[in-house]
Amino acid sequence: MRAFAVMVYRQLKRFSRARSRVAGMIINPLIWMIFFGVGWSGVFKDAKIFGGIDYLTYLAPGIFAMTVFNQSFISGVSVIWDREFGFLKEVLVAPASRKETIAGRIIGDSVVATVQGLVILLLTLLLTELRVAGILPALGVGLLLAVAFSSFGVSLATKIQSMEGFQMIMAVLMLPIIFLSGAIYPVSTMPWWMRLLAYINPLTYAVDGARNMLTGVEGIFPLSTDLAVLGFLALAFLGIAMFAFERSTIE
Amino acid sequence: MYAIKVENLVKKFGNFRAVNGISFKVKKGEIFAFLGPNGAGKTTTVHILTTLLKPTEGKAEVAGLDVVREAKEVRKKIGIVFQDPSIDRDLTAYENMLIHGGVYGLSGAKLREKIEGLLKFVELWDFKDKLVKHFSGGMQRRLEIARSLLHEPEVLFLDEPTLGLDPQTRDHVWSYIETMREEHDMTIFLTTHYMEEAEKLADKIAIIDHGKIIAEGSCEKLKRMVGNDVIYIKVENCAECFKGEFIRSCKVLQDGRIRIAVENTAEALPKIFELAKENGVKIIEATYHQPTLNDVFLHLTGREIRDEGGEFFRKAIARARMRR
Ligand SMILES: Nc1ncnc2c1ncn2[C@@H]1O[C@H](COP(=O)(O)OP(=O)(O)OP(=O)(O)O)[C@@H](O)[C@H]1O
Ligand SMILES: [Mg+2]
Repeated sequence: MRAFAVMVYRQLKRFSRARSRVAGMIINPLIWMIFFGVGWSGVFKDAKIFGGIDYLTYLAPGIFAMTVFNQSFISGVSVIWDREFGFLKEVLVAPASRKETIAGRIIGDSVVATVQGLVILLLTLLLTELRVAGILPALGVGLLLAVAFSSFGVSLATKIQSMEGFQMIMAVLMLPIIFLSGAIYPVSTMPWWMRLLAYINPLTYAVDGARNMLTGVEGIFPLSTDLAVLGFLALAFLGIAMFAFERSTIE
Repeated sequence: MYAIKVENLVKKFGNFRAVNGISFKVKKGEIFAFLGPNGAGKTTTVHILTTLLKPTEGKAEVAGLDVVREAKEVRKKIGIVFQDPSIDRDLTAYENMLIHGGVYGLSGAKLREKIEGLLKFVELWDFKDKLVKHFSGGMQRRLEIARSLLHEPEVLFLDEPTLGLDPQTRDHVWSYIETMREEHDMTIFLTTHYMEEAEKLADKIAIIDHGKIIAEGSCEKLKRMVGNDVIYIKVENCAECFKGEFIRSCKVLQDGRIRIAVENTAEALPKIFELAKENGVKIIEATYHQPTLNDVFLHLTGREIRDEGGEFFRKAIARARMRR
């Protein structure tokens, strides 16, 4: 367990050190909230599609989930950075269990991503009418989401050979996952093919669950379904990442 | 007992043979240097020996264990300083050591004691709480060396330990390596393309080029491949050849100097002075030329081992940029 604990410690320490970088990461979702959210909330003043709440409040859980998703996915994929810059080698020559080491890294990164989500939630509290009691359970959803996507990122990284590949993945996957999650507009009004994609998108379940907890609006799925799907995906992806990393080489 | 045993090792990347059938043995407690130009296959060999790459063909044993079948056991016995920096720049020196110790299963007071000892050894104790990204290249290298010693490896791999360092820092690193060997009886496998480094540190040198070992032996043995040491002497009055069983050949040159080929300058020079004194000859000038490892490489390949430090820096700078 020592290697696991050490890796969690490493990720948290790195996070606490990189303050300016953290600030940069929080600014992006805030810009979404303020400019995109406030801008459209005027348009949607009388809209009924958001379950009886104003658009900004509707958007906030989406931005929370989006932040956690962004952070965890990028930190997972950035294992390839580690390969480029040596830390991966450092881990691979060590006798410690690779499964344990990478699990420690993923959990550490997930906690970091969730904390960033929390910061966003607290800031959006000033603009919206979120239910404060929903924050703690929403963080649970955030953590599951983070574990799932950080693991997914690690699995991808073990297969990508180059920095170009990294940029490709980011460009091709990130935005569609966000747009197809119901984070910024409802899934229910999408055309059938988009809805289909949304249903197989893990982020959809996190947005749905977090929105239900934070605003009280009824979700697409029952809360138990959201949690079950996320929990299952988090565990499954974590397992896959651990196996993928175990067999990864530096070739 | 051998610390490293390699037989017919081949590593292919696609169709390209980066390592092309090398064999060598390193005795326990020995410093063994792999000397070769860029792209010779040094790092690839180190990666195979440290279980990071699987060989395409051949067999390698480290500390008596097979690097493929017993990879995990091998990992417990080795330490490595990679060619490219591999420390956490966003953490302090101390935290880097702590994490490395943890990954190797060390903890508690014993770990803290070891960290203190090693950071003092590489003269970084005063900077232990500084972020590594504010360290100079030499300080980072020293930290990596300290880190690689934390779990007391039996065999230590140093991949170009002084690449891109200034001469003074290089001297420091050399003295650390010598101390390590003396105090811990560690086997050290080092790669370099600096001849002075191989010459100064290594008990045995293998010269590698295009994935093949083209010569192997002690520094003296390698130099003998290209010939003897040559001493040039200028004397007062008439020049005449010296005679002695240590003299390989002797010739009076047209300019009046005497050219004496010997086995070993260090031993021969005093004898020559003695002979001169006995014969009442007064030596007014003595110079000598010793073949260098570069002469050896030149002799074997027709090329020189170029120092591509400049390229390394460009690469390092490009990397540092990408990080941001
Ligand atoms: N992963 C890889 N895929 C393809 N080719 C590779 C790979 N790694 C190394 N090579 C090639 O194998 C050859 C040997 O590389 P290696 O890094 O072992 O050389 P080296 O002796 O360490 O050189 P340097 O002094 O530049 O470090 C080079 O031509 C290199 O381009
Ligand atoms: Mg190399």
